[in-house]
Amino acid sequence: MRSQSPTDLLTRLDRLGVSMLVSEFEDQRPAARERRAQVLSELLAAEHRKRGVFIGITGTPGAGKSTLLGELARRLLASDPELRVAVLAVDPSSHISGGALLGDRTRVRVDSREGRFYFRSQASQTQLGGLSPASFDVCRLLMHLYDCIFVETVGVGQSEVDIRFLADRVYLVMTPLGGDEVQFLKAGVMEIPDTVILNKSDAKQAARKAYHSLKASLQLARPFDGDRVEIFRTSCTSGEGLDDLAAHVHQRVVALGSGSDLASAAQRNHDREAYFYRRWVEREWGRQGKRYLEDSLGGAEQFLEESKGYDQAQTAFGERFIAALARC
Amino acid sequence: MAEKKLHQLTDQDGEATRDRPWIFRTYAGHTSARASNELYRSNLEKGQTGLSIAFDLPTQCGYDSDDPIALPEVGKVGVPINSLDDFHLLFEGIPLEQMNTSMTINGTSMWLLALYVALARERGEDEAKLMGTTQNDIIKEYLARGTYIFPPEQSLRIISEMYEYCLERIPNWNASNVCSYHLQEAGATPAQELAFALSTAIGILDSLKQRGHFSHEQFERATGRISFFVNSGIRFIEEMCKMRAFGELWDEITEQRYGVKNPKFRRFRYGVQVNSLGLTENQPENNAWRILLETLGVTLSRNARCRALQLPAWNEALSLPRPWDQQWSLRLQQILAYETDLLEYPDLFDGSPVVQSKVEDLKALARAEIEKIDGMGGVRSAIESGYMKTSLVRSMAERVSRIAKNEITVVGVNKWQEGIESPLVSGDDGGLFKIDGESVKETLEALKAVRGKRDAERAKAALLSLKAAAKSGANMMEASVECALARVTTGEWAGALREVFGEYRPVTGIEGQRLGLEGERVEALRKRIQRFTDERGRRPRIVVGKPGLDGHSNGAEMIAVSARHVGFDVVYSGIRLRPDEIVTSAIEESADVIGASVLSGSHVELAEQLMKLLDEAGARERIQVIFGGIIPQGDFERLAQIGIRAVFTPKDYELIDIMERIFSLIESPAAAAE
Repeated sequence: MRSQSPTDLLTRLDRLGVSMLVSEFEDQRPAARERRAQVLSELLAAEHRKRGVFIGITGTPGAGKSTLLGELARRLLASDPELRVAVLAVDPSSHISGGALLGDRTRVRVDSREGRFYFRSQASQTQLGGLSPASFDVCRLLMHLYDCIFVETVGVGQSEVDIRFLADRVYLVMTPLGGDEVQFLKAGVMEIPDTVILNKSDAKQAARKAYHSLKASLQLARPFDGDRVEIFRTSCTSGEGLDDLAAHVHQRVVALGSGSDLASAAQRNHDREAYFYRRWVEREWGRQGKRYLEDSLGGAEQFLEESKGYDQAQTAFGERFIAALARC
Repeated sequence: MAEKKLHQLTDQDGEATRDRPWIFRTYAGHTSARASNELYRSNLEKGQTGLSIAFDLPTQCGYDSDDPIALPEVGKVGVPINSLDDFHLLFEGIPLEQMNTSMTINGTSMWLLALYVALARERGEDEAKLMGTTQNDIIKEYLARGTYIFPPEQSLRIISEMYEYCLERIPNWNASNVCSYHLQEAGATPAQELAFALSTAIGILDSLKQRGHFSHEQFERATGRISFFVNSGIRFIEEMCKMRAFGELWDEITEQRYGVKNPKFRRFRYGVQVNSLGLTENQPENNAWRILLETLGVTLSRNARCRALQLPAWNEALSLPRPWDQQWSLRLQQILAYETDLLEYPDLFDGSPVVQSKVEDLKALARAEIEKIDGMGGVRSAIESGYMKTSLVRSMAERVSRIAKNEITVVGVNKWQEGIESPLVSGDDGGLFKIDGESVKETLEALKAVRGKRDAERAKAALLSLKAAAKSGANMMEASVECALARVTTGEWAGALREVFGEYRPVTGIEGQRLGLEGERVEALRKRIQRFTDERGRRPRIVVGKPGLDGHSNGAEMIAVSARHVGFDVVYSGIRLRPDEIVTSAIEESADVIGASVLSGSHVELAEQLMKLLDEAGARERIQVIFGGIIPQGDFERLAQIGIRAVFTPKDYELIDIMERIFSLIESPAAAAE
């Protein structure tokens, strides 16, 4: 059995090594926190650590997200020999058994011999639709190892708001024939994406019609920035629009991740951690816990700062909150 | 003239007569072109009257024998064909003009027909006299069998172009053969089989109409060339009624929808392979009776009698049949046709109120389903949306669950399991057929020789004009014949079209399953899995996939869905995977178990490759590997030596047993191995 330190993975990506770490970051038991904090501190100190950019891919089931993602990943890897790409794909769990069927892998066609690519499936567990409780934890790891992390989620709805806070850029995938734009409009999802992809645009006329109806919907939903939301038309059968889209993604990844603007990247990280920390407190300790965080601990930002880290803040919160309850 | 009796079959002159029998075939082919040629010649000598060619999976999926994904499968489930030279060998001593040849070929159907035409040309035989069928039913490949290559649109184009080529040039060739056989194998009810097959034929006729290359007269003749290939199961009365329903519905559809005036072109012409799904590994000798009864379903009613029949062998659930096994099945056909009086009567069931009522019932159900598919925009949409696949998977799950609950009796499986061991399986070979491992060499050498001695420029030019035709929308048939003559190989032909058309990945239908997995044992297992999840901080994970080219995915899908149902996180990776793809999935997903499903007979080679790759990645200790599929008992020990922790075969039909055993492996790997 090989043993690799986390920083070794920066020089030589080893699938088994990455997977074992990912499993540790998925582990939601309190005992796993210490090890996570240690791994992260090692990685943060490492010279060559990555500053991964998160790209959210969301949309209705059947919109072709996974196939599209595979096409994008292949193009990104081919166009930039230094780039490392990871995918975190979240699928819903069964409410009866807790088990899940994770099928996205089949559609993401990247040669398994490509060492710069990593794909991990996750079950959403009890979360409706959106991310799994462990998604953010895994992202905290992957961002130090990869340049570009795609996070793929199914479904649209309120829970999808999580992806807005996790990703640096959100791409909403829809099909020209699905009448999706109306559905999205109803669900309030039009407020989420930075970019919209009209996939399966090989049906030319339908694609044109959908494009215009989509523009109108965006105007309606976002009267102030509707114009700035870009719309891409793609087809994975004919390959149309894929190169442009890949170039677009690549440009964003380079712009956000190259360290040219470290201050704003750091700010984004703080915001992200604060958001998911609040979500964690609520999940683990309920509304009362959330109130305690806001009223007695000065809010997520301050408490994270005070605790010197996300994992430490989880442990510290439990101790403080239980003590507070005992005093009541 | 003698007095006419109602029970007497008479010819045009009113003389008593008896029908000519259907065509006797045996689905055969294995090892190499040479070995298969020997088999065909000996079968024909035994009184077989037509050929039914089984191709190996690389040929069906469009790969050369020396492609890495093809190697473990060469010659396993059929004959490997790489180039026209192989075809010369395969048909040596068999006159094409006199032979009725059926080829079970789909993704590469145009290529195999082109090879057949090229062979006739080089041998100086008359192309116009060729007789036979290319199966060419891509729909059921998407739904059940898995040897598709191209997306539905391009596949329908290929089928249409073959009709357009054959109609005037090879008038006795059935360019396609709508095949509901595999639909039943995949779980279809009789009504589903009727509806899906007829909807597929409707899709072909619509495509021919839309393309507009035929006059109405030609269109009528082309309709007359559409043939069907049907399954016949053990409920043989219902099956007989299904065949009558098929005939009546097809007449109705071709007349009403398409205005086909000539009744001759509205006839439902079909061939049959009787059901293999219902053949059991337990007490395999019982299958002989099952095959006999299933044969009655498609021969008893004269108005709904098959045109050609091929029977599986009693040991098909165990392995490929040996020549003797095939001979035994052929003898059944001969006894039925020549010893009995079956062929001396007009239809026995005309006017039977029972049969008529049953037929009407089936027709009503089928019509409703056809309408539903029409409503979705036809068969292509019903495929692309996953509707048909999901329906089938659901029917299959219901069947399995009814067997599990003893609502369906299967003798020797869920009733009367005890019995005296059959002497048929106690011979030196265990009643099994083994492929000669060395024979692959011959095929590979022939392939190398073809590449070496052909005119490279001509081959290159032929491939270029094939691609040009594919892009421009011109008929690709003649370009394919030129490829054949230029000694282009199977992998090159398919590769060129892959470049232009892309490769299709269909909907799996896996979400549609409902299982009979309920009850105390399921609850108990779920609790154990929840406890495991709480204690270890993660859910048990299984990667399910099919290495190699065999595309029968229903078993794998059933396992995947059952595993989720009891609480696993399941990564379903689908079909046609290289071993390294499966191992990568398992490592990236931190899986506890790999479940690999193999029905092609390549389990030993694939097991060796999987374990070697896990070793190299340092993951052998972390990931248990189990196998499922058609795997003979005799190979269990060998698989265990290689490192496979458990093997499941059709004998293990209780899903809860399988799930418990898999979970035990994860819970304590060492103990479960004992």
